[in-house]
Amino acid sequence: MMNKPRHIAVIGGGIAGMETASRLAQAGYKITLIEKERITGGHLTQWSHLFPDSSDPAIVVSRLSSALSHQNIKVITSTEITDISKNGQYFNLKSGSEMSLNADAIVVTSGFHLFDASRKEEYGYGLFDNVLTSADLELMMKNEKPIRTASGKKPRRIAIIHCVGSRDAKAGNTYCSKVCCITGIKQAIELNKRLPECEIFCFYMDLRLYGSSFDGLYLTAQQKHKVQFIRGRLSEAAEKPDKSLQIKAEDTLSGRPLRMDVDMIILLVGMEPGISHNNFSRNGSVQLDENGFLKCKDVHAARNLTTQTGIFMAGTCICPMSVSETLENARSAALEVINYFERKM
Amino acid sequence: MPGELYERISQDIRFTEGLTACMNCGICTAICPAAEFYDYDPRSIVTTVQSGDEKTLKDLLESETIWYCGQCMSCKTRCPRGNCPGQVIQVLRKVSQETGAFTKSRKGRQQLLIKDTVGKNILKYGYCIYPATAYPEKHPEQGTVWKWVFENSHEVYASVGGNYQGKGPGTLRKIPREALDELHRIFEYTGGINLFNKIEEHSRKKALELGFRKENADPDMEVYTRFVENEQ
Repeated sequence: MMNKPRHIAVIGGGIAGMETASRLAQAGYKITLIEKERITGGHLTQWSHLFPDSSDPAIVVSRLSSALSHQNIKVITSTEITDISKNGQYFNLKSGSEMSLNADAIVVTSGFHLFDASRKEEYGYGLFDNVLTSADLELMMKNEKPIRTASGKKPRRIAIIHCVGSRDAKAGNTYCSKVCCITGIKQAIELNKRLPECEIFCFYMDLRLYGSSFDGLYLTAQQKHKVQFIRGRLSEAAEKPDKSLQIKAEDTLSGRPLRMDVDMIILLVGMEPGISHNNFSRNGSVQLDENGFLKCKDVHAARNLTTQTGIFMAGTCICPMSVSETLENARSAALEVINYFERKM
Repeated sequence: MPGELYERISQDIRFTEGLTACMNCGICTAICPAAEFYDYDPRSIVTTVQSGDEKTLKDLLESETIWYCGQCMSCKTRCPRGNCPGQVIQVLRKVSQETGAFTKSRKGRQQLLIKDTVGKNILKYGYCIYPATAYPEKHPEQGTVWKWVFENSHEVYASVGGNYQGKGPGTLRKIPREALDELHRIFEYTGGINLFNKIEEHSRKKALELGFRKENADPDMEVYTRFVENEQ
């Protein structure tokens, strides 16, 4: 048995950090969970429905929150780690000059940030009133606001645009964000439930429906909810005097250019590496991969290990992941940390 | 199967710079002004080139399609893979001109007209479009007033501050001999002259093929030019 409980710092209080922290606490480790926002729960606190079952993310968050009230866990919020250094056998973590703590190991769970859609100027986010992101739509639905155009009208036609900021060298992100395709389908269904009269079009390049139940949801979207899918990437959106939008794409399956008037556009924004990664990579604590996510020690055998011994990672700081994958990944990180200390003894 | 044509295309730096790999998203066609106007699809052209199939490439080089692009390069601004179909078109046009494939299509045959107007103007006067050779009967797009401008060109250009055919600086000034010689050397060195010669050579062959023949058995290029001008 351990002489003295090991202390582990978990950086990031989203669902990956919460799950890792509670699993390690249950195994007898002392945990400090550090979150930069005022509350834990991360992006899920702003989200309305989870795919594929349309469940409420608050259920996931509240289960994880209760698990955090463990005697071994200390949660520090509104604190962002700015520096990590190795001090003998300890890691020293600092938040500016205000906070400093030592830990035997670190688990980075710093997550992602959403692609800033205004970087794709041609889609008019932030310029045109009726261009929203998938995150804006989730928040609207979470707050139970009716889906209306900026001028308060019921939209009659909505276009959902896939791959915004993903698979796009122009945006600097050549990778696929993986969860947006199924999110788009889920959102199309939710929109149809709220606006049965509204036509909904998804503009996609490839539908990447990797989950076992995702294709079923695609079929449901087409059959039951009459969602239409057009294979083509949007070249641009233009606002008309009445604030509706004209969009241009190619219907690549028929090989014809296409123009469409819509009342609202939903941009499916992808995941980008969390900005906080820079803090850890700047001083060489950990390395980043070609996409700016944290680099694994071994992409097959050691996905939760960073390039620095004693610093582990979980969740979307590694790559884009769904909620269920993130939670599994967090449990696998907890297991890696436990193995690390057991080998040390 | 990739063959001689693909080999030729892939040796051009504009091809290697303009196309790495296409994922067929169609954003180039979506932004393309020519695609709105003609039956034209830059995405499918790139797909054809990417396939490398010799037979399809040959058809493409002989088609009207490659002449529809207006070279606005909007496609370059959008492609998520950083490709530029407009640049691929440049290469296809060049290979079509070199191999004579352009004489198989109506728009392709018009290369002769462009060479004999814009091409000649540049080398002779230093201007692409030159007032003295913009004959009203050949430029109906200029409208009815053009005939009057053409006939009174010196007075008209002077009235708007031009220096038409004059010495020294100013709009439409006479381009000095040394500058024209230098332009000629640039065309010589970069292969422009060679391309002009190829267009001429293949057009002459086409003229003979169509039976436009003078008494001494040479191709009758005047008749052929009129034919190309009026072809519908």
